[in-house]
Amino acid sequence: MARTRSKPTAKASKETTPPPATSNAKALPPSVENVPKLFVLPKDTSKDARIVTLDNPASGTPSRYFFCPEKGFYEFTRIAAPKKACRSWLITSETSMEDEQEEKHEENGGVEIGSGYVTKSADLFLATPIDLLFLILPALAPKSAKDTKQLFLSLDDYLDKLSSSSAHWKALLSQYPSLRAMIEKRMDAFCDTVDAGDDSMYRLSNTKLLQILVKKAERICATSFPSSMEERFIKPTLDVPVMSIKREESNTTQTTTDTSSQPQTETQTEASDTQPSSTPSTTLESQTSFESTSTTATSIEAEDDAPPALQTPPTIPPLLRLRTTLSYILSSYIPSPLRPSLLTLLSTPQPQSSTSLPDLQPLETHLSTLAKLKSQAAALRSISDNISRKRAFDDEDADRAAEREEKKRRKEEEEKRKKGESRGVKALKKVDVSGMKKLSSFFAVGAGKK
Amino acid sequence: MLEARLEQADLLKKVVDAIKDLVQDCNFDCNDSGIALQAMDNSHVALVSMMLKTEAFSPFRCDRNIALGINLGSLTKVLRAAQSNDILTLKAEDAPDVVNLVFENSESDRISEYDIKLMDIDQEHLGIPETEYAATVSLPSPEFQRICRDLSALSESVSIECSKEGVKFACQGDIGSGSVHLRGNTSVDNPEKNVEIDLTEPVSLTFSLKYLVNFCKASGLSKNVKLCLSSEVPLLVEYSLASSSYLRFYLAPKIGDEE
Repeated sequence: MARTRSKPTAKASKETTPPPATSNAKALPPSVENVPKLFVLPKDTSKDARIVTLDNPASGTPSRYFFCPEKGFYEFTRIAAPKKACRSWLITSETSMEDEQEEKHEENGGVEIGSGYVTKSADLFLATPIDLLFLILPALAPKSAKDTKQLFLSLDDYLDKLSSSSAHWKALLSQYPSLRAMIEKRMDAFCDTVDAGDDSMYRLSNTKLLQILVKKAERICATSFPSSMEERFIKPTLDVPVMSIKREESNTTQTTTDTSSQPQTETQTEASDTQPSSTPSTTLESQTSFESTSTTATSIEAEDDAPPALQTPPTIPPLLRLRTTLSYILSSYIPSPLRPSLLTLLSTPQPQSSTSLPDLQPLETHLSTLAKLKSQAAALRSISDNISRKRAFDDEDADRAAEREEKKRRKEEEEKRKKGESRGVKALKKVDVSGMKKLSSFFAVGAGKK
Repeated sequence: MLEARLEQADLLKKVVDAIKDLVQDCNFDCNDSGIALQAMDNSHVALVSMMLKTEAFSPFRCDRNIALGINLGSLTKVLRAAQSNDILTLKAEDAPDVVNLVFENSESDRISEYDIKLMDIDQEHLGIPETEYAATVSLPSPEFQRICRDLSALSESVSIECSKEGVKFACQGDIGSGSVHLRGNTSVDNPEKNVEIDLTEPVSLTFSLKYLVNFCKASGLSKNVKLCLSSEVPLLVEYSLASSSYLRFYLAPKIGDEE
């Protein structure tokens, strides 16, 4: 388990700060310039673990990574409280809660937190493992999208490229021979290789890389999304607009059911008999959301002559999740020159036998159908807007009217009062009363009359 | 039933004139000991407390405690109709809707009568304890008015320092600074000009001059004004009236930014 430390390991002591000024009971110590940060670091890392600055694979900007020669690289994720929620950390040096090694680090680093420290920003930096692949990818990727011709190069050439890009890479590579082996092993996974004498030559293979990425994405999707992400990315995309009028025929995926008009009063039915009667929960939700009048959303065996409204086939949400995940990985870990070629590779239909890439075609078709429906609904809404949105006069309106009346009356009264103010009273309103306490703080309120 | 007869309408005219620029509406609490008034300004940093004892009236009759909520602007308008030496009679029912004012001219047989509609005023009443002040300065009220007026031209606030040497009013403003120093003196010929300083320990406090100038509108009520100061408590400015009635002002000191 990871543990919370008041500071990173000794070598990273540049991240931490000198203790606040000597404790003076009267005055608060001045706020330190280099504030302590809270890190959650992996457990049982080797003594040589350190924080290094390497180029971010996606943006190319220098970023901090945590490196352990045995376990590999970790990236830092900042977990911050929302801006409006004012939170801060109280950091104390509770030695009993830390193990011996920790104390030693504390001594070695010569940094003590003292009696306690409150940081203004409640940020937590969480180290999470990152695939070495992403970090070496910039060296293998073409410099621009046009540069498609890639040559086979030896491992050393790539390592030289890495070293020249960042001083920390150079230091790491020279210091830890194990790292070289790690890189070589990883390169085997996503590069085409050619044997040239004793050495192997490597070239980035987009297909292999994409397969790895898809595998990663599938692993993320294996456990379904947290509900907040589901709400944000999946549900809105799949929502079918509410249409009370005839819906034109449109083809949906896989099952190729006819979708045509259906009166709202009719119960909704399942599209095809091949589908199981219990659909995944997301499908259910989307159904109920677009057909509020349909009380029974599922479990009625389909008859061929009762065509249902457009539904979300159960295969769609997982595909959409996969696509969302992939686009996240692409945008946050893959160098920008590589992205277009990977995307085209993903969208072009693959012969199912040759690769294990998922077929996103059904999703695309479904989404385009949805988009068409949505634009139709929007057009319809603007026509019928002035009819449907009028409200009848009801009690609520009466209440509101009374409230408004009351407010108006009060305002008038206030204005009248203002007019009645004498010149002196008005002048006194402008007096600067800062530093003057209210008299009620001197004299007791409500005490008997003198 | 309330019936209070004042020999000189002037007294009420001046009292109302003095406080109408500090508060807008207030309750006149009438009971068998007289008519009392307590009100705070909008910012709640100043308080006016008036007490007209029964002895100030002839006769005075109040069967039941009643609170007359009056808009001071309206009262001023009505009192303007009274001449200084008119006889003024205040009348109200036990549960009144209006207060009735009668002005009688002592020379002619002119009698004028006015009713003022009352209002319900919700005001919190503060209990003000009898305080032993560290310094009590008594000086001619025109002198105090002049000091406040002169210094208010320079600054928003004045520091009042009481020491063995006397009392010093000092201020500092954008254009410069100024101070007025008074020593205690008593003259037999002209007791109105006496400056008396009763000091148990030196005090120095800062107050808003605009408020003090406002208080000084009561200067016509009394030849002398009494300033009572202790550190960390409100300043008391007292104008004593005939027959142990009084008009008192309290003002919270400025704490923190010494100017």
